[in-house]
Amino acid sequence: MPTVRLRDASEYPEPARRLFELSKAWFDYDFKAPPAMSRVMAWDPHFGGPHGRAMKRAMAAGEFTRAEKEMVAAVVSGANACTY
Amino acid sequence: MEAHTAAGKLQGLDGDAPWYEAAFVVGVTNALNVAADGLAAALPALTDAEAGGEATAVFADVRAFYGGGEVPTPFRVIARDPAYLADVFGAVKRAFADRRLTRRHKEALAFAVSLTTRSPFGLHFHLGELRRLGVSERGVMEVVGVAQMFSSYTKIADTLQLESDMAHIAPTDMSGVPEADGE
Repeated sequence: MPTVRLRDASEYPEPARRLFELSKAWFDYDFKAPPAMSRVMAWDPHFGGPHGRAMKRAMAAGEFTRAEKEMVAAVVSGANACTY
Repeated sequence: MEAHTAAGKLQGLDGDAPWYEAAFVVGVTNALNVAADGLAAALPALTDAEAGGEATAVFADVRAFYGGGEVPTPFRVIARDPAYLADVFGAVKRAFADRRLTRRHKEALAFAVSLTTRSPFGLHFHLGELRRLGVSERGVMEVVGVAQMFSSYTKIADTLQLESDMAHIAPTDMSGVPEADGE
């Protein structure tokens, strides 16, 4: 169970709610509620903004495709014993 | 982990087969790293002469698989039991073969796992393999970036004990177990 209360999307200010729309585009999936990690990162846009941009730079297609990189991310998460 | 498996499936790595391949790569990568980093100090790598004929025959296959260079340390460490060496290499060779995933991509996975688990052997070995297979410094940095950023996300998720809420977004693969194919 999360150690913090994850706020409902409606509790976030408008700029953060716009970021949630970007999550849908990023995952190409119409979430009913923003993923927990999106809501966490939107808590502090001055942290979540650059962190998210760095992630998107890293995940952009280059010598490896976005799908290949998602798999790299999955094995890194597995190696870190993270189920999220 | 579930989020990226789902995201990867949505991005085109659909079905379970590539994810089984990835899991096998991660498993044997860790197995080789354990032997090289954890065991080699106590059980040193054997020379060809020390290993004997049965093991050196396997070494020849190992060299060929890795482009003709030196036999990687973990294989020399476990050469004390040639039959075991042959089976371990058989599994490694199968896991890293070009199949649904390319060998180049599999080396990227192995490099990322070695970086994440802080394996000195794995880090240098799989970096060398990535370069041998034509990945540039920019490509290496792409893998480093993904490994670094998701080492951050995972710890944020763990610290807040976030529960997976994305496993359902990719369709379930209801296909059966495939027939075993040849090499």
